[in-house]
Amino acid sequence: MGMDRQESVKSLFTAKSAKVDTKRGDAYYEKLYDQCRTRLDELKKLAPISNRMDFSKSIEEEGVDRRDFLKWASATTAMLMLPASFTPLVAEAAVLMNRVPVVWIELQDCAGNSEALLRSDGPQIDEIILDIISLEFHETLMAPSGHQAEKQLEEAIEHFKGKYLLFVEGSVPMGIDGHFGTIGAKGETFIDHLHRLSEDAAAIVAVGSCATFGGIPAAAPNPTDAKGVMDVVQGKPIINIPACPANPSNMVGVILHYVLTGQVPELDSLLRPKFAFGYRIHDNCERRAHFDAGEYVEEWGDEGAKNNFCLYKVGCKGPMTFNNCSIIRYNEGVNWPVGVGRGCIGCSEPDFWDKYAYERPMSNANIKAPTGGVEKTVDEFGLGLLTAAGIGIAIHAAASVAAGKKSEENA
Amino acid sequence: MKKEGYVRIERMTRSMRIIHWVNAISMIVAVITGLYIAAPYYQTFIADPAVDKYVMAWNRWGHFIVAIIFDVTSIIVFYLAFATRFLKTKPYEKDVPTEGNIKQFFEVLLNLLTLNRRKKFDSSQLDSFNSIFFTIFHLLLLWMLLTGLQLYVHGLASGISSIGAWWPWMLHLFTDWTIPVSAWLNGSSANIASIMDVRISHHSTMWYIIVWVVFHIYYQVWRTIFWQEGDISIAFGGDKYIKVDEKA
Ligand code: HEM
Ligand code: SF4
Ligand code: SF4
Repeated sequence: MGMDRQESVKSLFTAKSAKVDTKRGDAYYEKLYDQCRTRLDELKKLAPISNRMDFSKSIEEEGVDRRDFLKWASATTAMLMLPASFTPLVAEAAVLMNRVPVVWIELQDCAGNSEALLRSDGPQIDEIILDIISLEFHETLMAPSGHQAEKQLEEAIEHFKGKYLLFVEGSVPMGIDGHFGTIGAKGETFIDHLHRLSEDAAAIVAVGSCATFGGIPAAAPNPTDAKGVMDVVQGKPIINIPACPANPSNMVGVILHYVLTGQVPELDSLLRPKFAFGYRIHDNCERRAHFDAGEYVEEWGDEGAKNNFCLYKVGCKGPMTFNNCSIIRYNEGVNWPVGVGRGCIGCSEPDFWDKYAYERPMSNANIKAPTGGVEKTVDEFGLGLLTAAGIGIAIHAAASVAAGKKSEENA
Repeated sequence: MKKEGYVRIERMTRSMRIIHWVNAISMIVAVITGLYIAAPYYQTFIADPAVDKYVMAWNRWGHFIVAIIFDVTSIIVFYLAFATRFLKTKPYEKDVPTEGNIKQFFEVLLNLLTLNRRKKFDSSQLDSFNSIFFTIFHLLLLWMLLTGLQLYVHGLASGISSIGAWWPWMLHLFTDWTIPVSAWLNGSSANIASIMDVRISHHSTMWYIIVWVVFHIYYQVWRTIFWQEGDISIAFGGDKYIKVDEKA
């Protein structure tokens, strides 16, 4: 057990609930308010960094009126679990988002998280905010490529030393000394790349399931020995925003929280912000009444499916998954997986591809048996064990009877 | 009932027998409801809207009620076993690997394996073999308790409960460690343990318990038939019999 493993076990032992204490008394919030006020005033003095898009103008151009913006600000204040009096500060922070430099790198990934924030149905406030953040480097989005791109990266990390937020998308392949994934003309491995860029980052934000827990690349048999950022980088504040893809609202929430307070939000034992991952899907699901009633979709498209029954029997893992998509949904609240009639696959939990995403209840899914070897369902494994015990007992019983008869004859 | 040439020995007092059968019935209910929770195996037929029928909710309710009974009896049993003179033979005294206990353990095992041709131990009181066997059961049950409570606290994500915030807080404190231990027991190769590991372990441990129960019943019946000392009635009447000359 490595040092970090021990740490994670220790943090498990001392983990409190996922709850964020929202009743800390007026004194606490007044102090926090003043802190945020000072920070915002300081940020205001700074010139916008490279992104000169003006937030107020952007939202106007996109046809979002001020009322909608304030509605968004109060909803976001609530999401961050701050008192309503913070709403004006949140609105101000949104405008100042372009003062915090962001470097976004992609490792072993599908760019799904970048896609998630680009391809929403129509740019809404969360997306606009992500448009105006000061994205100093993003391989997929920026115009330069090759040596030019590399130069831009070097300049950004030099210029914003100790100040930038490093967003990481994708897992880190650790196998064959990291040579499963290299980047740039010098063939720098993803491991070295990540270490080098984390060095001077203010904090690291791992977005998506791959960067947080290894995700799909880490699924069995994990050929590249893929790991999440928190298993690779030590000694830096790390914020995990898992899910496949990570919800843009949660990315905005984390950046906003940082812009506003200069701090990392309260995290759970898996380093996920509690404001987003302190909710269990199942407890905030619109199909929950059908779960309790025992009304389940038995197969895709059946009568139950037409009546929005619970998706538990077609493999919904909402009961074992912590995420806020059953509350804030995706694409600016348009819908979410269970809403469109397919179960939750636990995308925000570690090892989700092997342990959650098999579209049937856990007990009907093939999972590696404790003994290793052939994958079996737990029930097949148990029945096998029971059969073996039964055979053993039958043999013993028959032998005992035979032996008993013999000793009677002898007597 | 008197049997010529035998003396009657009390093995289980009334309270011990009550605990035994409460456990047995709870176990049956836990398995039936637990398997429904795992994969609802019967349909709800009642043509009522969802708000009027609670088939899963009742199964979960039943599961949690037997869970509470298990929890409470376990605490009582542990108290009685360790802190009082409730048990005549302390199982943990029979578990420690002293020379006598090891010898007895293998003698009892040999008795089973030689199909009762060899019986060289005192069968009037609890023997080391059964003692170890029962201890394994208690550990399995304890594991069910801890993993069950871990699964249960997931539903209390708000950190509050009807009996106060101390309850989820305490459950986290006492059961969060089952997450990495479950992953290890499941032989998980993942980087990070997940709460699903606990569920997998809770389910597979059920099968270990069922196998345990099957062997337990077989062995007690086997002893009754071949030793002819009426072992089976320990759990019912509380007594068994032992040959006088053997005792002497
Ligand atoms: C011998 C005793 C027990 C047996 C055989 C048993 C069996 C089971 C099984 C088979 C499941 C379904 C797991 C799956 O999804 O595959 C389950 C779920 C569960 N069990 Fe147990 N269990 C036992 C004791 C307990 C105890 C003592 C507790 C303590 C609170 C408990 C709490 C739970 C909970 C919370 C769930 C999940 C239910 C849900 O999320 O709706 N169980 N149990
Ligand atoms: S659909 Fe999934 S999350 Fe919703 S109630 Fe059913 S099991 Fe729970
Ligand atoms: S419903 Fe489940 S699998 Fe789908 S996005 Fe939400 S947490 Fe992920």
